[in-house]
Amino acid sequence: MKEPAIVVEHISKRYKIGKARSNDLRGTIDNVFRSLLRGNKKENVDFWALRDINFKIEAGEAVGIVGRNGAGKSTLLKVLSRITVPTSGRAIINGHVASLLEVGTGFHAELTGRENIFMNGSILGMKRVEIRKKFDEIVAFSGIEKFIDTPVKHYSSGMYVRLAFAVAAHLEPEILIVDEVLAVGDIEFQKKCLGKMEEVGRDGRTILFVSHNMEAVMRLCTKGILLNNGTVYLQGTSREIVDNYFKLNEDLIRTTKIFDRTDRIGNGKSKFVNAWITNAKGQVVYQIHSGETVQFHVEIEAQQPNLNGQYTVAVAIYDNRGNRLFVLSSGLLNKKITVNNKTEVIFTVPKFPLASDEYFCNLIMFEGPRGTDTIDQIESAFKITVEDGDYFGTGIIQAKGADRLFTDFTINTRET
Amino acid sequence: MKTVIDSGKGKRLLQLKPLFEYRELTMMLAFRDFKVRYAHTWLGVLWAFVQPISTLLIFVFVFHRVAGISSGSIPYPVYTMAGVSAWSFFAFVLSQSGQSIISSQQLVTKVYFPRLIIPISKALVGFIDFGIALLILFALMLFYKVTPSSNIVFLPLIVLMLLILSFAVGIWFSALTIRFRDVQYIIPFMVQIGLYITPVGYPSGSIPKKYILLYHANPMVGIVEGFRWCLFGDPLNATYFIISVAVILLLLITGIIYFTAVEGSIADIV
Repeated sequence: MKEPAIVVEHISKRYKIGKARSNDLRGTIDNVFRSLLRGNKKENVDFWALRDINFKIEAGEAVGIVGRNGAGKSTLLKVLSRITVPTSGRAIINGHVASLLEVGTGFHAELTGRENIFMNGSILGMKRVEIRKKFDEIVAFSGIEKFIDTPVKHYSSGMYVRLAFAVAAHLEPEILIVDEVLAVGDIEFQKKCLGKMEEVGRDGRTILFVSHNMEAVMRLCTKGILLNNGTVYLQGTSREIVDNYFKLNEDLIRTTKIFDRTDRIGNGKSKFVNAWITNAKGQVVYQIHSGETVQFHVEIEAQQPNLNGQYTVAVAIYDNRGNRLFVLSSGLLNKKITVNNKTEVIFTVPKFPLASDEYFCNLIMFEGPRGTDTIDQIESAFKITVEDGDYFGTGIIQAKGADRLFTDFTINTRET
Repeated sequence: MKTVIDSGKGKRLLQLKPLFEYRELTMMLAFRDFKVRYAHTWLGVLWAFVQPISTLLIFVFVFHRVAGISSGSIPYPVYTMAGVSAWSFFAFVLSQSGQSIISSQQLVTKVYFPRLIIPISKALVGFIDFGIALLILFALMLFYKVTPSSNIVFLPLIVLMLLILSFAVGIWFSALTIRFRDVQYIIPFMVQIGLYITPVGYPSGSIPKKYILLYHANPMVGIVEGFRWCLFGDPLNATYFIISVAVILLLLITGIIYFTAVEGSIADIV
């Protein structure tokens, strides 16, 4: 029998966060004096991103790693990619690893496409001869033959990503570790990535795939690992993992108010503190009906006095497979939300278009011209249950489970 | 291929094998830096000649013409160029490596490679400039008809010392800057002061006797003297030279120890 591709034994990773400054001289000197005076050595707060992680991945398996923000997915990938060392425990990896935590690592704007292929290739662990051998293939895959000797700063962002992915797609590792690189780029590009990864999987290579897209996890992976609070919550088939992921989300929503949620990303200048839904009569509701007028209320609190933030605020709605269905974003209406102290943002949907099912809502708030600075973001901040409703006002209610969304339409006939 | 990932406690200090395996990436990083450095400049690669020549001219004017410092039988420009070439390389590596890891944050947080190759690649870029400075030096020797001493066969050894020293100081500062951002502001001072406490533009014989031992604690003194010993057959005091060698080795060993200690957590800090 073949040796397992990856064996993880008791891996833990601790980060020190909190008060003590240690990345400048004054902070360190301060700390030394403080600890001398008080005999107090521990100013830092320990945060365990991973706690006693154990699993085994057989060669040729495609395994999805799933978990909420802050569950430890990225840290685990960083440890397995040797970007950071574990605090304790060990992992044994049998085979040549390529990890794609981003596409186009090491690309430099001043270098030409050709030079960047070599640069990026060597960063991803390819040998020069290997890159030279595959060079034509890579260029053909990217479809930018004409511009291969142009500095990439003159490329459009689409060309840039295509070239970067072309290099990554020609890696031939025994073990491929992929972070949510698929989250970037357009739909077509995402499809191309998924297709390429399926190919890799068929070649019998081992894949470790981290994603929020449960559909992609189910499609690519046979097995999965569900992380929660830095520990392995469940190992099983990808089906079991995906189901339990949503169960965990529901538990969290049920037990923890938005105000108390800690699984946030963003710089925290402002925070989502509450969210609720009202119907046309202004009553707070937990269930809505298709076709009803629905208002989403989102309450934001500035975490700094007189912040005067100008943000884009959005509610994104997902089905219970993790597919994004639509988004209510102030950006789409070309509006900036001013946040001072406490602000309530109200999104009104005149006719709610979703069919009966359960849906999850993410709250997103960012600033900057391209939405580069995330202020606060909560995945699955709340759940909405949609019941059958009379969308068209005709008294005809769509049978359960047939369609997923509705749209207004009219019918005319004319004699021909 | 089998890789074991653990906390790295008690691991061997200098692992040469991964460094060798990643030699192509080291070269690519150096190539990238070299190419990008002179991009969009009007003079382009000519800048690599302008810098050492202008430094030399300033020395000739200030130290030789104004202050009247003499270099004995060797013409002053030749004598000083020997110092300038070695010093410029050291200063380049010192100032580049300080920020090297922080400015490679994009790479360090996304992909694995032995972190040491970052300061090494910076030293490689400097080595190209050093080659150009040596060319200028040899051209000057031809022009002033200075015949090299037979000690020149030892020149590669002295160059190796210079490389090791620059590398040692480079890894010290690249690692220190990660922990203490303040260090990057101290480096320019060190380069400035170092120029005066190294016999670049004057012979080390002019240093008062009581300071001479302390003076040689600066390992660049031994290297510049070694250079002149190789090229012009200047006298070289063995005791003082050994002090410099010892300081270099000490810096190298402690540098590797310190770098290894912080290496694993680099991605967590930057």
